[in-house]
Amino acid sequence: MIAQLTRNERQTALLILLAVAIGGLAMAVGGRDNLLGIHGAIAMALAIVMMFVVIGGYYAPEPTEDRTASYYDDPTKVGIIIAMVWAVIGMAVGDWVAWLLVFPDMTFDAGWASFGRLRPIHTSGVIFGFGGNALIATSFYVMQRTSRARMPDQVTPWFVLLGYNLFCIIAATGYLMGVTQSREYAEPEWYADIWLVIVWVTYFVLYLRTLARRKEPHIYVANWYYLAFILVVAMLHIVNNLAVPISLTQAKSYSLFSGVQDAMTQWWYGHNAVAFFLTAGFLGMMYYYMPKRAGRPIYSYRLSIISFWGITFFYMWAGSHHLHYTALPHWVQTLGMTFSVMLLVPSWASAGNALMTLNGAWHKVRDDATLRFMMVAAVFYGLTTFEGSFMAIRPVNALSHYTDWTVGHVHAGALGWVAMITFGAIYASVPWLWKRESMWSPRLVEVHFWLALAGTIIYVFAMWNSGIIQGLMWRTYGEGGTLAYSFVDSLIAMRPYYIARAVGGLFFLLGAAIGLYNIWMTIRSAPEAAYDMTPDEPVVAGMPAMQPGE
Amino acid sequence: MSFFGFHYRLERKTIPFVLAIVGVASIGGIVEIAPLFTIHQTVEAAPDMRVYTPLELAGRNIYIREGCYACHSQMIRTLRDEVERYGPYSLAVESKYDHPHLWGSKRTGPDLARVGGKYSDEWHVAHLYNPRDVMPESVMPAYRWLKRNTLDTSTLSLDLKAMRAVGVPYSDDMIANATADAYGQASPDSAQADGVKSRYGEATNVRAFDGVQGEPTEMDALVAYLQILGKLTDVAHTPVKQASTEAGK
Amino acid sequence: MTHDFLVGFSKSFGLFYLIALSIGVLIYTYWPSNKKRFDYAAKSVLSEDDKPWA
Repeated sequence: MIAQLTRNERQTALLILLAVAIGGLAMAVGGRDNLLGIHGAIAMALAIVMMFVVIGGYYAPEPTEDRTASYYDDPTKVGIIIAMVWAVIGMAVGDWVAWLLVFPDMTFDAGWASFGRLRPIHTSGVIFGFGGNALIATSFYVMQRTSRARMPDQVTPWFVLLGYNLFCIIAATGYLMGVTQSREYAEPEWYADIWLVIVWVTYFVLYLRTLARRKEPHIYVANWYYLAFILVVAMLHIVNNLAVPISLTQAKSYSLFSGVQDAMTQWWYGHNAVAFFLTAGFLGMMYYYMPKRAGRPIYSYRLSIISFWGITFFYMWAGSHHLHYTALPHWVQTLGMTFSVMLLVPSWASAGNALMTLNGAWHKVRDDATLRFMMVAAVFYGLTTFEGSFMAIRPVNALSHYTDWTVGHVHAGALGWVAMITFGAIYASVPWLWKRESMWSPRLVEVHFWLALAGTIIYVFAMWNSGIIQGLMWRTYGEGGTLAYSFVDSLIAMRPYYIARAVGGLFFLLGAAIGLYNIWMTIRSAPEAAYDMTPDEPVVAGMPAMQPGE
Repeated sequence: MSFFGFHYRLERKTIPFVLAIVGVASIGGIVEIAPLFTIHQTVEAAPDMRVYTPLELAGRNIYIREGCYACHSQMIRTLRDEVERYGPYSLAVESKYDHPHLWGSKRTGPDLARVGGKYSDEWHVAHLYNPRDVMPESVMPAYRWLKRNTLDTSTLSLDLKAMRAVGVPYSDDMIANATADAYGQASPDSAQADGVKSRYGEATNVRAFDGVQGEPTEMDALVAYLQILGKLTDVAHTPVKQASTEAGK
Repeated sequence: MTHDFLVGFSKSFGLFYLIALSIGVLIYTYWPSNKKRFDYAAKSVLSEDDKPWA
C-alpha cells in the first residue's frame, strides 16, 4: 500500500500523522485529569502506529508513472474490510444489548457494560462504522468510474478514510467511558465533532476535485446522491453539534440550544441523518451497483433525477414528526406530518425505479444472491418508506411513538434496506477490486442472504408485535374508566418479543460474520491466472454474458 | 476549444449544482426552526422557575453519561392516557434550562418528566442499586457503582459558567460556590448547607439523598436530579391559558 | 420579526416553494435537448470502466 505512494506523498502522510500525534499529545497533557486526556492518548497512539507503517515502507521504490492509467482503489479495498469489521462489531453489540433486555443482570456491575453506554456503540457502530465506511469506500470507487478519471492524489483518500475511522474509534471508546452529548446519533463530544468537520470537508473537496477531472461531461446520477449525502450531512452535523465546552481541556460541553429549540434541532438532524446518510448515500450506491450487476441501465434516468430533488427537498421538513403531541408548536408538527406523507412519492419512485430496472433480469435475481440482496433492499426501501410516512401521521404516531414499533421501523430500514444494499454492493465489488472470478464461496453468499432475510423478518415482526401491544396497553381503559394496565404489565408482555428480536438479530449478525469470512477468503485465494484485467463486469457462474444496455 | 475553456465549462456545472443542493436542502429546516427562536413571545413565562443546583446538574450529567435517556422519556404528550399516567402534559417552558433537552424518543421504561417527589429517596437509592429488589420484573440495569463513586465536584464552577454562556441565569455567587453548594445540598448538617437555600430558594431539597452525609456520591447527585424533575416550576399545574395562542391551533 | 409573521410565513411558504421547485425540476428533466444526455448517461455506466480515460 505504501509502495503505491510517491516519495512526496509519503512525506505528506508523515507530516499529517505527526500533526495528529502532536494534537493528541496536547490533548493528553491538557486533559490528563479527565477523559479528554485518554482520547488524546488514543489519537496519539494510533497516529504513531500509522507513522511506523509509513516509515516501514518509506524506502520502497517509487511507483511507476503508469499508475495514472488505472483507478486508485487501495482505499476502497481497505474501506470495505473496515466496514465489514465494524458491521460485525456493531451488530454484535446490538445483539448483546438486545439480550440485556431479556437478562438485565449481565452487566458485571460495571458502568461500561450497561445498556445505556453500549447502545450508542451499537447505533454508531452500524450507522457510522459500517454504513459510513461502506459509503466512503464505494463513493471512491463510483466517483472514479463514472468520471472516467483517477483521484487527484493518493494521500487525501487515506486521510478521509482513516481520519473518519479515528472519529469512529473516539466515539465508541467515549461511550464506554460515558463521554456523550446525549444527542441521539450525534453523541460524540465537541472535539470529536470538530475533527469530523475537518475530515468531512476534505472528503467533500476530494469529491469535487475528482469530478473536476472527469472526462464524461455529464455527472452520473449516483454522484448526485453521494454529493448530497456529503454536503447535507456536513450542514446537519455542524448545526446540531453547536455547543460550549466547559473548558478546552475538558471533554464535557453544553449544547447551545435548550428545550424545544434543541429538540427540534436534534430531530431535524436525526431525521435528516436518516435521509441523507441512510437514504441518499445508499441510493447513490444502488444507482451504480444495481445497473452494473444486473447488466441493465436504470429503468428511468429521468425518474431518478426527479426523485433526487424530491428527496432532497421533502426530507428537510419531516423531522418534526418525531415530536408529535409534545411541547413543540402544533403548526410545526403539522408541517412535518404533511411533508412526511408527501415524501412517499419520491421514495416510491426510487424503489419502483430500482425494481423496474430488474425487469428482464429476474433470472439473474433468482440465480445470483448478490443481485438478490439489492432487489430485497429495494423492496424493503419501499416498505419502510411507506411505513415511515404512515407513522408520521399524527394519530398513528400517538400509538407508535415511544414504543418498539419505532425500533422495528428503523430496523426494517437499517437491516432490510441499508445493510442489504451494502452487502450487495460489497459482494459485487470485492471480486472486481481484487480481480477474482467470483467470491470465494458463492454458497456462503447464499447462506448470508437467507440468514439476513430471516433475521430481518423475525426482528421486524417481533418489534411490530411488541410495539403495537405496548402502545395499546398504555392507552387501554378498564371498566371503571381508569387505565387498565400498569407500566410493568406492558413490560412483562414484551418479554417473548424481546427474546425473538434478539434471536433475529443473532441471525443477522451470523450472516455478517460469514460475509466477512467469505471476503477474507476471497482476498487470500489465488488470483485467477487467466484473468484478463477487464474486471469490472459482474461474473455470475453459469450465466450467459450480459449485454450492456440491452 | 482550448483545454481551459473546456474545463471551465465543466466546472461551471458542479458549483451551481452544489449550491442548488444546499439551497433546496436547507430552506425547509430554516423555515421550521427559525420561528421557534421567537417562541418566547407567545409562551407564558414561568417567573417562579429556578435553575438546577450544582448537585442536580451533576446528577443530570450522570443521567446523560449512563444513557438513561435511551429508555426514559421526559416529555408527557397531550394525550389523555399519558396525562392520567404521568401527570400534566409537558410545557415548552419547563425545559428551557435543559442544555441539552432530554425529551427522549423511547419508553422501554416509564416517562420521568414528573417523577420528582413521586417516590422517596430511599426508594430511588434501592431501585438504582438493584431495580429488581424493588420491581422484580424490571429490565433496568443495576447502577451499584453510583453508590461507591464519590462525585467529582471539582469542575462544577466550569459547568455553571458554560451553562451561563448558553443562556442559563446563574449568578456569580452561584458559580463561585458551586462545589460547596454540591457538598452542602447532600449534607444538611454541614456549614455549607445554608448557602444552598439562600442561593436556590427555600424549596430546594437539602437532604442526604443516599442516606449518608459528607462527601456527596454519584448516587446523591442522580437522586437529587430525579427528585427535581417536573418541579422547577409549577406552571404546568396551574390551569391557565398557558398553552399560548399557537399550541392550540 | 414577530413570531406571528414567521409562523405565517412558514405555514404558507412551503407550498409555493414546493410548486416552484417541482416545475423547475420537471422542466429540466423533460427539456427535449436533455434527453440524449440522460439516455447516454444511463447506458454509460454499463460500458467498460476498468481504467480512466486518457
